Amino acid sequence: MDDIVNKAVLFDYFSGRVSPLQKKSVESWLDGPGNRELYYQWLHEWEMSRLQVTANWQYAYEKTMSRLTDSTDEPQEEQQPNHWKIGTLRQWINRSWLIAASLLLTLAVCSWLFRDVLFYKTVRTGFGEIQSLTLSDGSTIVLNANSSLRFLRFGFGEWTLPTDASYQNPRTVELAGEADFSIRHLPDHQPFIVMTPKGLDILVLGTQFTVFSRERATRVVLRSGSIRLSSQRKNERPLLMHPGDLAVLNQQGRLALTRTAHPETMASWKNHRFTFELTSLREIANMLHENYGLTVVIENPQLANRTISGSFTARNANEILQLIAQLLQINYARDNDHVSFTS
Amino acid sequence: MITGSKGQPLFNQGDPIRPVNEHDRTTQVVDNEHIIRSAFANSPEKGFESLFRLYYLPLCSHAVRFVYTQEVAEDIVGDVFYQLWKTGAYATIQHTYRTYLYAAVRHRAHNYLRDELTGNRTASSLDQVDDGRLDETPQTLIEYDELFQRIEKVIHELPPQCQRIFLMSRFENRKNQEIADELGLALKTVEAHMARALQQLRRVFLTIGSILFVVFS
Repeated sequence: MDDIVNKAVLFDYFSGRVSPLQKKSVESWLDGPGNRELYYQWLHEWEMSRLQVTANWQYAYEKTMSRLTDSTDEPQEEQQPNHWKIGTLRQWINRSWLIAASLLLTLAVCSWLFRDVLFYKTVRTGFGEIQSLTLSDGSTIVLNANSSLRFLRFGFGEWTLPTDASYQNPRTVELAGEADFSIRHLPDHQPFIVMTPKGLDILVLGTQFTVFSRERATRVVLRSGSIRLSSQRKNERPLLMHPGDLAVLNQQGRLALTRTAHPETMASWKNHRFTFELTSLREIANMLHENYGLTVVIENPQLANRTISGSFTARNANEILQLIAQLLQINYARDNDHVSFTS
Repeated sequence: MITGSKGQPLFNQGDPIRPVNEHDRTTQVVDNEHIIRSAFANSPEKGFESLFRLYYLPLCSHAVRFVYTQEVAEDIVGDVFYQLWKTGAYATIQHTYRTYLYAAVRHRAHNYLRDELTGNRTASSLDQVDDGRLDETPQTLIEYDELFQRIEKVIHELPPQCQRIFLMSRFENRKNQEIADELGLALKTVEAHMARALQQLRRVFLTIGSILFVVFS
């Protein structure tokens, strides 16, 4: 039977394209020793070449891990695998002690291994996903697509017993990507610090501002209140920002300050709006890559330099692609994550 | 991204089998299991992470063939990983992690579908599964395969509008009212299409699902 059933036949079988006789031979082949393993191996390969969904495994991994750490509060009896064959009462008592002890040990080891997961919480958004969250101090943060925010899981902003020590214990979050902040001012003036991967730290007292911190640039726009920026470069003096200021950290790590008349447009993504101001197709392609994970190819440089102005609503990548194509009177083709623009 | 309702084919039924060097492919996949085992030897956390990296996506993709909702599929796969860790079964796995994971996901996806279509879901019915002790015979393996193939066929054979509405509802997570608004239909029409799609699925399940129901109950 082994010579009839091979990988190609099994692939056909999974796709529902075999004859009843072949199916019968697959069934008898499955009885062979070790063939169930091989069956699942080929099923896995078949599935890998015909994926039907996209999913973020890192996000799922962290979710499962935090679910595991959360469940440590449950009574320990529940953690006991329920298929133990129980002989006598005495055996049962011995065994349950053994289980309890080993569970405790496992718990201790796990909590040490996952101390990062335990003490810090990371909120991550996938491509095309926008999420808003409220921290325990009452500040609200809206995360744009493909971004992550890491902060203390417990006692965020609460470790400030002596009033004069509050500056030594700021509320700290780490941001990679793009987010809009609305920070609550606390009675004891406890500062709030946003740290970015490029070494730019934003010190806040209570205000509203938007941070863009991705590979190609780092930008901060302030809508109200005041914030202080400090770069981790030496000799760089902290910079105080006023409402309407736009700060840009350039490739060399230097901070430059300009004014913008509409600071709110940098956060228009919160309402699924896209605001362009003489924005070139090349920049829009960058945005599509960052927010939706699309790889964009533009036919020629002239096309890449064409610009769009205006404010538009688009709920997903397809809507924005259609919009761009209509505005510029050009064509686009999308094949999964690959998009090409042609004139 | 699923673009079924945008007119792209969701199922690659006509996909030709690419000629591959079978031996090479086999050793490569076996090596994956080897990598996971050495990662587990290093630290369970690392091992677990590599399990997610290698298998999470294909497992979700496979579960979707049964349950036809990405959210549910991800929940099912997440539960399997969760149980694998929580019961400590990862340390005592007999065969390969791949076999354990696929068997458990298929079993849970099947149970979910059974409960959804026969209408007797209970909150705990999914939690009381012991993933590590599934007795699979060649017959059950084949019945599971037949189940997802028939589901695919049924959805494929739905009238175009009905199929479109079903996929919008399941994959894009849209409310019936939203679908009605977007397609310019009455809410009642959308509801009727959904009922029809579910009715067709139920019929599939009753023809072959009942056999499995006896086997596993």
